Order: sequence, then C-alpha cells, then structure tokens
Amino acid sequence: MSVIRQSDPKAWTHVDDTEYEAYCKEKGVDPEKYTTMELLTIAAARQTYDYSFIFAGTGLPMIGCMMAQHTYAPHGMIIMEAGILDPKLIEVPISVSEARGGYMAGGLSNMADTFGTYAQRGFCTFGMLGGAECDKYGNLNSTAMGGYYSKNARDDGKPGPAVRFAGSGGANNIASYADMGLAMMVQEKRRFPEVNEYITSVTGSRGPIGTPEDRWHMGLFRGSGTTIVSDLCIFRSNPQTGELEMAEIFPGVDEQLVRDNVSWKLKTAKDFKPFAVPLHEEIKIARMVCDPNRIYLGRKTKRDLAAEK
Amino acid sequence: MAEATIPTFMRGKDKIMSLSDAVKTFVKPGTCICPGGFSYTKKPFALAREVIRQNIGDLFATMNGGASIVDFWAGAGLVKLLDTTYIGLEGIQPVAFNIRRSIQDGTIDVEDYSNYGYGLRTVAGRYGWPFAPLMAEFGTSLMEHDTFAKMGLRGKKADGSWIHPSIAPARAAVIEDPFDGWGLRPHAFEGGDATSNKTNALEQIRESTAYTGNKGVKVILVPPILPEVTIILAQRVGERGTTRIEGILGPDAEQAIAAKNVIVQCEKVVSEEELRAQPYSNTISMMFIDAIVEQPFGGFPGQVSYYYDYDWDFWRNWAQLNRKPKEEVKEFMFNWVMEDEWSFLSTRPGDGYPTITGTKGLQRLFELRADALYGYKPGLARPL
Repeated sequence: MSVIRQSDPKAWTHVDDTEYEAYCKEKGVDPEKYTTMELLTIAAARQTYDYSFIFAGTGLPMIGCMMAQHTYAPHGMIIMEAGILDPKLIEVPISVSEARGGYMAGGLSNMADTFGTYAQRGFCTFGMLGGAECDKYGNLNSTAMGGYYSKNARDDGKPGPAVRFAGSGGANNIASYADMGLAMMVQEKRRFPEVNEYITSVTGSRGPIGTPEDRWHMGLFRGSGTTIVSDLCIFRSNPQTGELEMAEIFPGVDEQLVRDNVSWKLKTAKDFKPFAVPLHEEIKIARMVCDPNRIYLGRKTKRDLAAEK
Repeated sequence: MAEATIPTFMRGKDKIMSLSDAVKTFVKPGTCICPGGFSYTKKPFALAREVIRQNIGDLFATMNGGASIVDFWAGAGLVKLLDTTYIGLEGIQPVAFNIRRSIQDGTIDVEDYSNYGYGLRTVAGRYGWPFAPLMAEFGTSLMEHDTFAKMGLRGKKADGSWIHPSIAPARAAVIEDPFDGWGLRPHAFEGGDATSNKTNALEQIRESTAYTGNKGVKVILVPPILPEVTIILAQRVGERGTTRIEGILGPDAEQAIAAKNVIVQCEKVVSEEELRAQPYSNTISMMFIDAIVEQPFGGFPGQVSYYYDYDWDFWRNWAQLNRKPKEEVKEFMFNWVMEDEWSFLSTRPGDGYPTITGTKGLQRLFELRADALYGYKPGLARPL
C-alpha cells in the first residue's frame, strides 16, 4: 500500500526562529538538544502518514497525534473517544474529552457513537496508545499487576491487586479496531515481560500468527501488526511471526541497552535501521506548537533522572 | 375509570429543586449512581459535592468517562462497588490515587469493561435492549475476569428475584454471528469499500473456535446498564426539563436516558421556548429529567464547554493531595465541600493550593470564563 507522508518541513506548521530562541531561553532548554519525551513524540509522529485516521488514546498520544497533525499528517484525521472527530489542535489537550481537543472539529458526538461510527464502522488507521506493560506480541496491560481481583473477589486473602492501573478506557477498542497499533511507552525491563499477566489491549498479533492464540483466531476482525515506540527504540511486529522485533534504534542508544530492557530474547528486524536524528524543525514544532507549557514534554523518565545524577 | 394522574415525568416547574433536596430525594446509601461528564469536562461537581455533604455512603458507582468525581467520593470513603472502564485522571494523574488505593486495600470492588463495551451497555440501556453486540475485548483478560460473579452478586436468588438488582446475571456472553460476518466493514462491495480501514480478517475469524468451541464469527453480547440515578451537567435546561448540552457529549445522553431517575445540574434554567425554538439542538427530552438544579459555576474545578475552563492549579495540587494518608484525605474532603454550594464557590476556588494568578473565590471563577470562539480559555497557563 503506497502512502503519502508530508516530509517537507517547509510544509509543516511554521515556527519563527527568533521567537524560538526567546522561548528556549525563557524555559531554560537547549534549542538543539532534544529530551526523551520530545524524541518519543517526534518518533510517534513519524510513524503516521497523511490522510490517515489516528484514533488517539489519553496520555502521550495526545501530544503524539498533535505532532503528527502539524508535520507528517497535516490532513490526517484525529479521533478522540469522547465524541471528537477531526479537530485542529492548537493547544495540547490533557483529556480526550476536553474542549481543547474539540477545537474546530468536524463533528462532536458521544462516546458510543465515536467507537461505533468511526472505529467499528471502518475509520481507524492508527490506534495510538500508551500502556504500563507490553509483551512479546504487542499486548498491553493497563489494568493491574499482582493479581487482578479486588478483595471480595479474591481467594488468596490479599486485600487487592499489588498495583492497580487505570484500566482499559478506550484502549482495548482502539487496539481492536485499528488497522495498525501504535503505542508510546517508556522502556524498562519489568514493563516489557515475555507474557503479560493481564491483557487489556491487543495491539499486535496477540500470539504467534497462525495459531489459535493470534488475534484473529480469538475473534478480532481487524489489525495487521503494531509499532511500539519506546524511549530507546522502535519495535515492530514481524509480519510472519507476530513477534516484536527491534526495527529502529535511537541515536546514541546501545543495542545491548535495548536487549537488557526487554524480558525475552529480542530479535532484530530484517529491515533494521538507525532512527534518523530529530530535525531542528521537529523539535521546534514539538516545543512551541504542541506543548509550550511542557505538560508532557517536561516529564522525565527514570533513566533521565538517573542520568542527571 | 381511575382518577387521572399526571405522570411524574410530565411534571412542570416542580422539577426545579434545591441542590440538597435533589440529592436527598434520589441518592440513598447503596444507590447505583452514574456520574456523567468526562474527566475534567462537564462533570456535575456540585451534585457530587452535595453527596459528600450529606455523607451518603456504600455507593455503587458506575460510569464511562473518567474518574474525577469517584476519586472525590473514594477520598470521602463513600464508594463500595465500581462498575466502570477507566479510573485514571488522564493528563493530571495516570491512576486516580484514592480509587487506586481503595482497590488495593480492599475497600472498593471493581468490575472492568472497555469504553466501547460499556458504551454499548449504555446504548442498550437507552433503547431498552436486552443486550448489545460488541466486536472488541476478544482475546483479553477483560473477558476472563468477572469480579461481581466471584463476589456472588450475579444471577437470581431462590425466590427468583435478582441477587443485586443493578447487576446483570452475566458480565458478557459470546454467540456466533447468525449473519456470518456479512456486516463487518470493509464489506465486499464491488470495487471495494469506501471506508479507510484496509484490514478485514473475515476468513480467519470464520475459523475461530474461541469461547464457544464451534467454528464461526464470534460476537460478544453485553448487558445494559440500568442505574438508579444518573447525575449530569448541562449548560441550559428548560423549566420542565428539556436539556441542551453544548460541546463534547461524552457518555451523558445514553447514561441519563438509561437510568430510572436523572438529576441535571445546569448553569442556567431557561424558558422551554428558548430551547424549543431550535429543537434539533436539544440533547435529552424533558421526560427523562426528574430534578433540575440551577448552579452557575457548579462544574468547578472542571471545565464546562463555552462557559468556563478547568482550574489547572487545583488539579495539579489534587494529584499531590490525594496521595496523603487516607484519613487526612477524608477529613479534607468533608471540610473542603463546606456547608453549602455558594459558600464553597465563593471560598474554595484558589484556596489552599498554589495558584499562578493569585485569584480566589468568585473572582477566580470569573477569571476562568471561556472564550466562546474556542469553548475554553485560550492561553490558560498550564505549567507542569
């Protein structure tokens, strides 16, 4: 399938250089050096293409889809589950239901309608998500660790799950109905187990392709594989096996570091390549157009904090 | 012929009630209550605060669309059961801490659905359907876990009545599609479908033996939600209950229409004529509305599209505050809501948390007013 990608920075949302210099000075950020969250945002946007539909979940996808709209996918249509179709984002939303996310939208509807009319019906190219855990076949866990059940439904005498996360929200449905999964996550070994304790969202093949464990044999009628953008590299599903493989590696990251931060024997994709260094234009747009308050971009990973020490 | 009576839902201006009477009338300990809105937008916070003021506990909360109200209630120790999809505070806090802690320490039991799974339950509830068809959640742990079944809350008692009248006898059921996947898009139209989706694994899913043991296209059926009371926020409501929601709808219309009773909190009660002059813009018919509470700015600290923005500083602080010891949070909640809503609104905005502009009370509420061209307040300072 041939796709159109707007790769010419001249066609992207314009940021004035003088204003950018002043902004960087005010915020105390290096104009040339990108941070981990900026890299994640830029990398996610590069996975999308123009004229695609991006169904964006909450969290990092808010800035990921906004970045895509101002760069590689200017005609891409964003969907948000509270009923938003095709907004023109000029301030980053903190929720998939806030008025910032609905600005200049093509339509506002309700939740059931968003998933029904747009996703189930057939308009979801990319399902953009965040997650707490990701396993070898691209299953995300955003529900619980250490036993799912709450106290009165448990048999082991424990008061509840060791760690409770937010739950599916729309993530399961976005993953179920998208042609392609696209998740943004911070990479730590414990967040990348071989098999997830709990599967909230099936973004990839779910299990080995061609076995009763794959997504289609479980009943899902859409989906072709997934891309997981971590802060170290980009994983993609192998189209034959479904297994996540290292497809691109970020500048300055050692391959061994990637391998040390997943719990299975990670394979390298056949078309593996280094990730092209973020462009000055991309960093500018991420900062000044998408998130000048640095609500998402100002966040630091554990690895960032350790490096600072 | 029996004496003629006016149906409750046709009542007129007596639907307009005080905040305290509306909550007293429709919310009791243990009520299955469905808060509307979504995360920071159009959450009926005035009604939520009144539930805290009246200290109505053992609540069975059920909702789609974010957990900000339930996080307040959980902080006040008022929630026992939760039937929902998402307990995060999105960009402010990945997991609402009061709810998270209460699930981890055994004070709240929770049943999980996906948003669309739950959304279809609200559609089934709205239309009076016995169930609705879902094509997601396949292959996940959502389908493998059923908290309410394990708690013995599903099914019937010996006398034939439901064990819990607000809980369906099953979380979900799986059937084979009697139409063999014919309706799944992209459909096999001559020359291809007009949808943007390209993948359709019909051949593979016909081979599926999952869930039923038989080969064929599977469909999940989910039961309706039937809340005893749904609380929502609308910008304008007519004096007999015609309700107009502006901006993002979220789950409100379905969740309200599915319920037995609905309390609507609004910025302004207006004449029915004002809304009936453009009937196509109205969201919920008067017959579903049982109580109308006029409370300008009652959506604070949330956002009400085209009226006012959220109080960013409040939420930034809340993500710290809700992590304090349980007893401290509980004390804060009961103290925070004050004795009535106007005392609250003229005192609490900007009170007790660091703010950028330093405004307090009504002055702060006015400062947060939205720009009608945007629906929010452009350029609102939102530092991390």
